[in-house]
Amino acid sequence: MLAFRVNRQRRLLWLLSLVALLLSLLGMAISWSRPGIGAPLRPGLDFTGGTQIQIERRCESSCPALSVAALEGSLASLKLPAEPGQLAPSLAGGAVQLLDGGRSVVLRLPSLSPDQAQVVLTNLERQLGDTVPGGLSVDTIGPSLGPQLLRASLISLLVSFVGISLYISFRYDRIYALLALLCLAHDVLITCGLFAWLGLLAGVEVNSLFAVALLTIAGYSVNDTVVIFDRIREKRSQLKDLPLADQADEAVISTLTRSIYTSLTTLLPLLALIFFGGSTLFWFSVALSFGIMVGAWSSIAVAPTLLPVLSRR
Amino acid sequence: MARQQGWFALILALAIAAGSLLFSWNTPETPLGQRLGLDLRGGSQLTLQVLPAGSVKVVQKEQLDAVKEVLDRRINGLGVAESTLQTVGDNQLVLQLPGEQDPTRAATVLGSTALLEFRAQKPGTEQRMQELLGLKRQATALLASLKAPEAEAKQADRDQLEADLSRINTDIISLYEPAQLTGKDLVTAGRQQQQSGSSWEVTLSFNKQGGDRFAQLTQSIAGSGRLLGIVLDGRSISEASVGPEFKAAGISGGSASITGNFSAEEARDLEVQLRGGSLPLPVKILEVRTVGPSLGAENIRTSLLAALSGLLLVAVFMVVVYRLAGVVAVVALSLYGLFNLAAYALIPVTLTLPGIAGFILSLGMAVDANVLIFERIKEELRSGNTLIRSIETGFSLAFSSILDGQVTTLISCVALFALGTGFVKGFAVTLGIGVLLSLFSALTCTRTLLRVVLSYPALRRIDYFLPLSQRSEGVA
Repeated sequence: MLAFRVNRQRRLLWLLSLVALLLSLLGMAISWSRPGIGAPLRPGLDFTGGTQIQIERRCESSCPALSVAALEGSLASLKLPAEPGQLAPSLAGGAVQLLDGGRSVVLRLPSLSPDQAQVVLTNLERQLGDTVPGGLSVDTIGPSLGPQLLRASLISLLVSFVGISLYISFRYDRIYALLALLCLAHDVLITCGLFAWLGLLAGVEVNSLFAVALLTIAGYSVNDTVVIFDRIREKRSQLKDLPLADQADEAVISTLTRSIYTSLTTLLPLLALIFFGGSTLFWFSVALSFGIMVGAWSSIAVAPTLLPVLSRR
Repeated sequence: MARQQGWFALILALAIAAGSLLFSWNTPETPLGQRLGLDLRGGSQLTLQVLPAGSVKVVQKEQLDAVKEVLDRRINGLGVAESTLQTVGDNQLVLQLPGEQDPTRAATVLGSTALLEFRAQKPGTEQRMQELLGLKRQATALLASLKAPEAEAKQADRDQLEADLSRINTDIISLYEPAQLTGKDLVTAGRQQQQSGSSWEVTLSFNKQGGDRFAQLTQSIAGSGRLLGIVLDGRSISEASVGPEFKAAGISGGSASITGNFSAEEARDLEVQLRGGSLPLPVKILEVRTVGPSLGAENIRTSLLAALSGLLLVAVFMVVVYRLAGVVAVVALSLYGLFNLAAYALIPVTLTLPGIAGFILSLGMAVDANVLIFERIKEELRSGNTLIRSIETGFSLAFSSILDGQVTTLISCVALFALGTGFVKGFAVTLGIGVLLSLFSALTCTRTLLRVVLSYPALRRIDYFLPLSQRSEGVA
């Protein structure tokens, strides 16, 4: 049995969390100041609005090489039919991405009407040669939809914060509720930080699935922390003579195996999704796995060490 | 003893019911009774926003419903299979078209207002009208030749012509009186091929009032050289002359036809729009999402594979760590999966990719409940308690933390479901159902199965639950 007393090492544990938090804030600040991003995280199609076209090519063994520059060039010179009362959008800013060794082609374009998207598709199919019938997706998100989605996500996050803290205040104490929210903010911020850096260094974008991941991490983080709180409450009635810090340590020690096993069993299906799941869910699973690891950390290292400090005041 | 047998019988009955339900609802369309979302089966989703116009500043519920009614009629006219149209929020409509159906055409047909107007030409504008119609004919012919596949036309020339045509159209419209008759008075619309040539015409029949107005309107211009303009959404689609023989009573009989040089497809779309009636408020296409069915199938396959391999890994882990109790947990978790699928089929829940992700996550949390209980049982065993006693204490001690954890997750699910959009909801539903069922799975299924297992004395051995080495360490 591990007999690791977290409250003896709390300065070191806090330092680690603090460094991670500062790095996250730094990543988001840099990302915000970049003219190409202009937001704490690199926003994807769901938040910026626009049209994304993905085509699967049919090739025997390997696909004939494509030049991204040539495709972008031909897009830029393409003239689109205008919608009544509007200027036709220019495709000069469109981006082309090749995935799976050129097997699938992804275009990121400004918002297009169905007719305009059809023009782009016809033009593209001429250059790509054989494509997989049905292996095609066209997504158009209007520019007003992104802010709407963001607002809905933030509101649901806030409402679940309030609901969770009310529940914990009712079942435990206000300090526990505050701690649970601190841990939750810690987990969500650090996960956002990772994706801010991924956005800066690898161009990873966040979509509405990422918002779902953050909400799940929030729920999971509290779930994880509450189990430890439950144990601390039990230890407080069992070990009345010990100081709160030692009671918290005992609670952490007796739940440590459970915390590790639980995180592990939740991570197993997520790792399966990362390695074997489709591309749609890849970054979603990465965000969830990372968030769950951070959540395990905060429930072991942050909540039980802050509790004695906060209770004293 | 009798009570535990009652639970066991109930669980068995539920499992058989769930299994046979999934089996009997298993069709190619709904595998294991599951309704698949567009991202899994392929298809398109169109989001339309109803815009305020004229005196309407904010779109009301009744107006949204009125728009939906018109669009429903148009969709029926288009003959797309299994489509669903739903209102979303205060001013949006979402149309789902499963399978390989062309969303572009649906967008064109649904997106236009289709306000049909019959307008008489103003007196004294005969010469100007002839000039404009001449220009229009020229421009249209030129544009058609530029659009022909073999033409090497410059885009700039085409744009210029399009702009000219729209200016000519505005000029023509300005020569008409305000509308005396609109599509409101239509009873039905049809289409037929013209007797001469290959183009199509759209036939209209008016109600009594419309027929009378049409007769009056044609009588007023009969033989005068002035034209009858047929205007659709502010575009003059046809200009008809009315011969002097109608001077006496106008064109009576309550029917008319529009010969606008339509192709078969155009005539059909116009017919569908006119039959459905014009939209009370204009709509804008906000979003079109299309997933090809092969991408959908690929996503299903990989997600299923991931879910199954994740389940397998968790099963191996549980058996290695918790031995006999682990085996019981794996059985309980398999039942959990079965009950989840049955719940989706019954409610019904449309499964999407985020929904499957929610299910996989709820599975992780269901395992957590088992881990919490088994760790407690191990603790009790280590402090030297008997097996039966340890199991009972383990369940009752783990209960409060399981409940608190599940309730907090459920709070998030409710917030997500109530306030989230589209597929965020799909995620919240499967996660929420999973959390509720995992309470039943961990607290009732696992417990009952463990008790049944322990009713066999041969299995009542502590080392089947806890390695003896750990036991001695705990006691010391």
